[in-house]
Amino acid sequence: TAAEPWPENAALYQQLKDEQILLSDNASSLAVQAFLQMCNLPIRVVCRANAEYMSPSGKLPFIHVGNQVVSELGPIVQFVKAKGHSLSDGLDEVQKAEMKAYMELVNNMLLTAELYLQWCDDVTVEEITHPRYGSPYPWPLNRILSYQKQWEVRRKMKAIGWAGKTLEQVLEDVDQCCNALSQRLGTQPYFFNKQPTELDALVFGHLFTILTTQLITDELSEKVKNYSNLTAFCRRIEQQYFEGHDKDSSTTVAARSAKRSLLR
Amino acid sequence: MAAPMELRCWGGDWGLPSLHPESLIVMVYARFSGAPLTVNTIDSSWRTAKGDVPVLISEDTVISQPAKILNFLRKQKYNADYELSAKQGADTLAYIALLEEKLCPALLHTFWVEAENYCSVTKPWFASRIAFPLSLYLPGKMSREALNRILLTKGGPPLYSLTEVEAQIYRDAKECLNLLSKRLGTSQFFFGDTPTTLDAFVFGFLAPIYKVCFPRVQLQEHLKQLPNLCRFCDDILTCYFRLTVAGHSPAGQDTADANLQKLTQLVNKESNLIEKMDDNLRKSPQHPPRKLTTLKLAAGGEEITPLNRLSP
Repeated sequence: TAAEPWPENAALYQQLKDEQILLSDNASSLAVQAFLQMCNLPIRVVCRANAEYMSPSGKLPFIHVGNQVVSELGPIVQFVKAKGHSLSDGLDEVQKAEMKAYMELVNNMLLTAELYLQWCDDVTVEEITHPRYGSPYPWPLNRILSYQKQWEVRRKMKAIGWAGKTLEQVLEDVDQCCNALSQRLGTQPYFFNKQPTELDALVFGHLFTILTTQLITDELSEKVKNYSNLTAFCRRIEQQYFEGHDKDSSTTVAARSAKRSLLR
Repeated sequence: MAAPMELRCWGGDWGLPSLHPESLIVMVYARFSGAPLTVNTIDSSWRTAKGDVPVLISEDTVISQPAKILNFLRKQKYNADYELSAKQGADTLAYIALLEEKLCPALLHTFWVEAENYCSVTKPWFASRIAFPLSLYLPGKMSREALNRILLTKGGPPLYSLTEVEAQIYRDAKECLNLLSKRLGTSQFFFGDTPTTLDAFVFGFLAPIYKVCFPRVQLQEHLKQLPNLCRFCDDILTCYFRLTVAGHSPAGQDTADANLQKLTQLVNKESNLIEKMDDNLRKSPQHPPRKLTTLKLAAGGEEITPLNRLSP
């Protein structure tokens, strides 16, 4: 129930970190972890190969708190708010509207671009996504599952009009989105000046993952690197919320100095 | 001076220049930025189905999708955003994303998926503007595409039935309208006194909800509780489209004036004819000559016939 305090054994489930997890899921998981850190709520990360099937909505990550299971950042923010923790209470109505709008921008452009790159760019699909997505399973299950997922994602891309885009256009969109985020952040430490909100967590999750994930080419991370205040923002949040914790976090110091390889 | 540009899009009704949100966005942006566009609305005289509507044609370039069309117009120096700061430009992108994610599904649903609305209003309207036999096929296709888009983006667990998805998307849409209302506040436009791209997008999505008369109108009812958004739509309609309550567009006004002129001429001709007939009757032997004619002769040949006197 909402009245129960946050338990010590709250867990966040995601796919296997080194072999299986993909760019978009990693970004979403990191966003939730950052959000919970910012709220000062302890969480431990549990990696399971079948995490996607355990999730109530099929999307990752999900958290298991007490006897409740909640997935995806939006519902998790609501859930945490019901327990009395919120990062955006100090915002006025117009700022809340702005925050929600920017979160939609990240979902609309960055997340969709990540999905496009993973599932619609043939080279990436062949060399990275297919091997990783099905890695816990034996042949032919691994191929079947990953083709099924690919078909599902491509259907969605077609419905929203992204199927006809080229990779260059998608990278253009990423650039436009990063430009907007950079402009909005300006020289402030966080998007709403002194205190981080769920928007900061979401942006951090996506940008940090893009910066530290090795793909076929560096084009995607280069787009983010063009904006120095965004890279500084990521570094700041990493230092403040992820270092000095002895949790099994996906953002260890090693991630910062050397790019994590997602190849096999 | 840019080459003449033609916009092909869906037409309007219920006081709107267009019923189609994307077409409306482009039309209103063109008005805001002063771009000279010839608007050709699709009607049943068109032989082929235009897949991507609206479409801008300028010389040899054909551009579809509102975002790309607006980009093109900006490159042609028709820029409604030149006074915006970079941060306001960023806000524009964010709010457009909010509109597309939260408001668009419910708008699509109201027009194309809600059975009563679709069968009694949307389908007949669109079918009447498409040539046969496409009119039998195209509205159905648009409806299926709308449902598909809603289910693929918003459906899926934990929402398992269409009614649950519908409940969720209308909740999202109402929240989005509330957010827009709070953001607009008491200003005339979203960034002060001059309209920008964001105003075009908001108007494009809101105006159809606001004006079109559907049987099932939960979204319209919610919108009407937000008076600043209603005022926003009405202001744009009266200022930029010069639409009166009856819904005559400026082009309509001109034709009305032309009609009035023709009518006046006709009335005058008729009255001249009547005068002539009257005159003939007077001159005929049955009637005694009128004092008028004697007066005329007495006046010394001044040609003051009743005909001349009364003609305009």
